[in-house]
Amino acid sequence: MGKFITRRILWMFLVLFVISLITFFLMRNVPGGPFAREKPLPEATVKLLNEKYNLDAPVVEQYLDYIGDIVLPRITTGKLTPSSAEDYLVSIPLSGSGEDQKTLQWINFGPTYKSRSRSVNDIFRENLPVSFQLGVAALTIALAIGVPLGTIAALKRNTIYDYIGMGTAILGVSFPVIITAPVLQYLFGVQWGLVPVTGWEGPQYAILPAFALGFVNAALIARLTRASLLQVLNEDYIRTARAKGLTERSVIVAHALRNSLIPVVTILGPLFAALVTGTFVVETIFGIPGMGRYFVTSITGRDYPVIMGTILLYAFFLVVMNLLVDLAYMWIDPRIRFD
Amino acid sequence: MKRPGFTLLLVCALMLTLVVGGVSAQEATKTVVTGLHMVGGDIPTIDPHAAETSASIEIINQIFIGLTNQDATTANMEMGIAESMDVSEDGKVFTFKLRQDIPWVRYNPETGAVEQVTDEAGNVRYVNAYDSVYGALRGLAPETASPYSYVPLPYIVGAAEFNSGEGSAEDVMFKALDDYTVQITSPDAASFAASIYGLWVLRAVPQWAIEAGGDSWTEVEYINTFGPYALKEWAHDESITLIKNPFWPGTDAIPQAKIDEVVFRFLDPQQQFAEYLAGTMDAIQVPLEEIERVKADATLSQEYIVGNQPCTYYIGFDNTEAPMDNAHLRLALSYAIDRQSLVDNVTRGGQIPAQWFSRPGLASAPTLETHPDLGVKFNLERAQAELAMALEDLGLASVSELPALSLAYNDSSNHGQIMQAIQQMWTENLGITVTLTAMEPSTYFASISEDAPIIYRAGWCQDYSDANNFLYDVLYSKSSQNDAGWNNADYDALVEQARLESDPEIRRDLYAQAEDILVNQGGGIAPIYWYTINFLVKPNVEYPPSVTGNEAYFEWDITG
Repeated sequence: MGKFITRRILWMFLVLFVISLITFFLMRNVPGGPFAREKPLPEATVKLLNEKYNLDAPVVEQYLDYIGDIVLPRITTGKLTPSSAEDYLVSIPLSGSGEDQKTLQWINFGPTYKSRSRSVNDIFRENLPVSFQLGVAALTIALAIGVPLGTIAALKRNTIYDYIGMGTAILGVSFPVIITAPVLQYLFGVQWGLVPVTGWEGPQYAILPAFALGFVNAALIARLTRASLLQVLNEDYIRTARAKGLTERSVIVAHALRNSLIPVVTILGPLFAALVTGTFVVETIFGIPGMGRYFVTSITGRDYPVIMGTILLYAFFLVVMNLLVDLAYMWIDPRIRFD
Repeated sequence: MKRPGFTLLLVCALMLTLVVGGVSAQEATKTVVTGLHMVGGDIPTIDPHAAETSASIEIINQIFIGLTNQDATTANMEMGIAESMDVSEDGKVFTFKLRQDIPWVRYNPETGAVEQVTDEAGNVRYVNAYDSVYGALRGLAPETASPYSYVPLPYIVGAAEFNSGEGSAEDVMFKALDDYTVQITSPDAASFAASIYGLWVLRAVPQWAIEAGGDSWTEVEYINTFGPYALKEWAHDESITLIKNPFWPGTDAIPQAKIDEVVFRFLDPQQQFAEYLAGTMDAIQVPLEEIERVKADATLSQEYIVGNQPCTYYIGFDNTEAPMDNAHLRLALSYAIDRQSLVDNVTRGGQIPAQWFSRPGLASAPTLETHPDLGVKFNLERAQAELAMALEDLGLASVSELPALSLAYNDSSNHGQIMQAIQQMWTENLGITVTLTAMEPSTYFASISEDAPIIYRAGWCQDYSDANNFLYDVLYSKSSQNDAGWNNADYDALVEQARLESDPEIRRDLYAQAEDILVNQGGGIAPIYWYTINFLVKPNVEYPPSVTGNEAYFEWDITG
């Protein structure tokens, strides 16, 4: 077990390294650049900007610098002035004070070219928590609606409950969030004034976006739960459980539902990674200061450090979640073993 | 059963609420929530020397004032932090006397008030000539890599050398003569140089705060400002809140603010519109898709404002590449565009069909009143006649023998619809079939700068209010912005002469002649429309209409 986890963690770093390599060289080969403008900047200015951000160095060197700034810790001497290019996630004062101040610094994802005052770490610090909260709320709603809906539909198969439940699910899956979000916003925010229209200043601001985001995924989870539960209900061990004379409740909850959760848990990993790192559409429609927007604007603006940062962050969540999903399998189905 | 007592009580309670509500409304701070010129996502910067988007410049204009200032409602140049300006006989040396009563201020989150900044000795720091020189040199310094430093370079002796890293800061002729006198020397006697000296890229900034705060100096904890507003809060990706600076002395041009707080929300027009309908925003941009709805709505149409924006939308031709190096072909295409129909049916935001390039309203640009017949208007006969001459020049029997032409554009906003309309006009009016090439914006802008497509969409907005910023800076043969490769000796001579002429009316006339060569004789570009802005402003907000594309919130008020 311990060996398995260690091995998976080592693999995780290899995967992240390969992703960083591919992303870096792909993005540097896309035409356009961070300083291409509708009103073009003079060549001399672009040259100055390239120098400022070290973009005139050979690409391989830039890559090594970039990875080095993230992986290698360093110790600096002297007073620290806030700098968007030198912003470290870990910054521990070691000894001395004033000009002799020694500081251990580690993990710097670089500046953002779009903003002079902020770094990629600032975006992680300020925007990721917002997306995380929204993602967790949306996932909770998705599970709270999806699992019961799917279970009822499976148990009451081919009854009116099944039809209503699955009809709702199909609606949920068919209407993308780009349609449901503005409709919810217009009805509950603009017309009835029950909740704020846009922004992120308190729990009431999360209600609409969490539902918009949760509902689509609830539909997905409901369909998956239903299909999986139907399959499990036909298994021999369910018949055995019933033959033993267990109550229907304990047959369903202890035996059927638990085993039917494997497909749900499988998609939960990537879903969680996607939701907590932010969603562009929902954040844009509800004016939420999250991470999702940066996945898109960094690419359209060729903001290289932000592209790298967002992709690595997403990849990190994805590999970690997949590891947790694998561990969850063992709990759900003790027959599953990783060696 | 009737309960008159209860009803009476209710009425009393209601009246009391109204009275109390009325009183507290008067005492409450005047706040306006605006989205004008804002877009979704974070504002890139509020550092005057790094700013390049209109959202950034909008905020900067409220908190940092230049030596000179452009009035938002008239577009005229007036004094900013300078109280007077002297120009030497030869028109090259500008001496500015600064006001001595403008303190640096900061917002103190603990007291919730704006306070004056003091130095180590406890004395109030006033904006002086050294702050101004420090700011200008920082804006021009190569290590700042300011995206707008190229604009003032030709108007300050030594600036270009300093900016390129070859010269030194001491040789830049932007000097403090004493505590409150700044002298700037220009290599040429350009009458509009004084308005360039007021640009954000040369504005005074607080050296001590920048040294303490580094790249974070624009955050509330470090920033010091001096304009009629001060920075209260910057919630990244969400909003900026400005608070009235009570220490701004109030000048003839820039009065003290009447509104206590201005909240700028970073939202796209669709979201702004939803907030406006919900009654939570006071001034917004109308999304393109909603313009018809706004015009048709009884209430919204009363709050709808169409303002001027100093920008020109145009079609560029690669003047250096066959077949677009043929002037007759360019003119045929230009005259075949029915601009009125385009703005009425496609853009629908009250845009003005452009007859020439330099947007009327810019200093010394021709206007529709002074030159109603100048330039290019939709003219089918002329278009077809030009096409016939073009075919003859090219030795072709019919349009079908023309090489394949494509019109490139950046696939964003409503450019696609506009390009399709133009494509259709060319097919119907000339029989020329042009293919459309939609490109991802960043790729598109990069390709225009490297080698312009044969026909392409473009737009230009003012950096400073003068026709020179359009006709010389963009289309002079040696300009770095001349993507079209337009090269005409007569045109060059006219814009060179106008650049150094001091009489505004003579300049206007010279620019009119240059425009005639550009759009009517040579067809270097095809101007399409002059931009407008489409706003909704709540009726209780007193909004002095801006013609510069920037708002002066210190002139706004709230009534009722």
